[in-house]
Amino acid sequence: MSIEKLQSFLAPNYENFPKGRTIGVVVLRTTQSETIFRTEGTGEPMCRESVQAGVQNTESILRLVMTKRKQVAPERRRGREFLRNHELLYTAPKSDSPCSLNTNAPCEMCVDCFLYGFAAGGEGAQKSRIWTEDAFSVLPSTELIGDRTINAVFETGTMRDEKGNASTALKTSEYIKPGVHFLDIATLKDVTADELRYALGNLLLTTRYGAVSSRVGRMENQILGVFGGISELPSSLELVQGVYDRLIAENVALEHPLNTNALIEATQSVINTWTNKRGISMQLSSEELDALIEDIDRHWSLDEQETFLKRLDESYQPYRQIKQQSTKKGRKNK
Amino acid sequence: MPQSELNLSDSPTFTTARLVELWCAEPVFFASRELSDTYYTEGAIGNYALAYALGWARAPYRLTGKDTGRPRYREDLTPLAGQHYILPAWPVENSPSYRFERFNALSDAYWYAMTNNRVATAREDLPLKRTGKKPNTYRPSNFPQTGRLRIIDRGNRFQTLVFGEGELPEYIRVGKFTSKVRVDVGEALPVRQLPADTYRCNTYLNSADLPPDLEPFAFDLIAIPPASLLKNLQFHGEAWQIGNFLIPANLEFLGGNSRE
Repeated sequence: MSIEKLQSFLAPNYENFPKGRTIGVVVLRTTQSETIFRTEGTGEPMCRESVQAGVQNTESILRLVMTKRKQVAPERRRGREFLRNHELLYTAPKSDSPCSLNTNAPCEMCVDCFLYGFAAGGEGAQKSRIWTEDAFSVLPSTELIGDRTINAVFETGTMRDEKGNASTALKTSEYIKPGVHFLDIATLKDVTADELRYALGNLLLTTRYGAVSSRVGRMENQILGVFGGISELPSSLELVQGVYDRLIAENVALEHPLNTNALIEATQSVINTWTNKRGISMQLSSEELDALIEDIDRHWSLDEQETFLKRLDESYQPYRQIKQQSTKKGRKNK
Repeated sequence: MPQSELNLSDSPTFTTARLVELWCAEPVFFASRELSDTYYTEGAIGNYALAYALGWARAPYRLTGKDTGRPRYREDLTPLAGQHYILPAWPVENSPSYRFERFNALSDAYWYAMTNNRVATAREDLPLKRTGKKPNTYRPSNFPQTGRLRIIDRGNRFQTLVFGEGELPEYIRVGKFTSKVRVDVGEALPVRQLPADTYRCNTYLNSADLPPDLEPFAFDLIAIPPASLLKNLQFHGEAWQIGNFLIPANLEFLGGNSRE
């Protein structure tokens, strides 16, 4: 099994202090429907940024950005759905309510709290061991953005209600076209084998990102490479720039829709050079990567899901007991 | 750890320093100033943040009990005295470029309500609220749910001087959102010791790290937590010259004081 190949970069069990074990994951995210990523609210343009097109091609282009917040939040929520289903979310000590994101009352005990972290809890804080990075579109944003006019008609089917008042719900809004590729790098620090399966499972199982995700925002995530090492991979900006140079060198037409296979090949040839870089020790071969994904799929399958999640949940037990004892003491002193 | 074996009395002063350039592969955010629901990043990267980012000291993943309420700079950084030191990073261009972003935080429930600085999730509490009572989930929280961030933009470059030996990582993560920053290490430059005189410093300095006998005359203050930064410091005292940079001599984290 390929997860054994990563053994020296995996923690045997959760430890409180960082030990410099780093797993880097190269992810290709492809939109499967219209998608909306913006940071300034309704009606504002999509998140985009002017960056250098390639490492060698130094002209600047506008690229779409999928910010790190827009990646990690849906992926956490995906994992938490399963935790909730198996009753592995605990009651928050502060508010007596079940563990819930962004309510200022994390349970501090569940898998999600331990792996993705929490702040401002009742008793303490936990740093995230899943590091995300802004992902960039390969092509310039001008190719990738369309406009939709939205008109919310009344139940009469017209823009006027029964009293004859005109609807004000008419506007034009930007969206990202389907088939847009984002290249992304995720970093996992000091995770155990089960935590790796959990985090990558979340990444592979999450299918909706961005605004209005019950209607649009469908996205497919593909893992193109897994690295083990003592330091991080180069940034996703440098990756996307390297891929851009490679596509130009290979005379791939840089227009939307971009050929996915050509993009994957270009990405592979860029990341294959990384193993020689400082601090990056090894990359899983494509067979090992397939085996790893198979391993993840098996653990998340309906039959094994519960055993897997319960085993992961139990691995944090020693850290929970320390906490429970300290709260007991606190009560006595009162 | 070799750090704890170090004897402070015969600690060697640094003989060389390296000029390091930091390139922001991602936007960098620190809550340097908080004005209502807007959070500002100042155009500098503090040297305590950099010391942790470079792996010289490591903060635990999980904090419990009284550790959550206080920083560990003294325990973590003063053992580095004489071994490693880094200045706060200053922007290469005169002023860095910033960007503004909105953020909002939502719950993972299907039903939620934005209440007074709080995302409420318990629909059961609605009737209680209508009667004028304030259920727990509706009480305001000391936790921002929406706001605006001023962030150092992607592609900005910062410079700093690193004292002491040892390889530096190629990439580090800094800031509240652990943003990726590339580290380009320059050649080692000799540190020239200059006698006590009046000098003008052309780097940023951490006010807590200055040697006790230094006489500062004038400076610009960048008021940020945990310790304010100084720029354009004019001072009387011994100095170090590194290339074109002039800084007060004998800088150490927290002035090298391991105790109050």
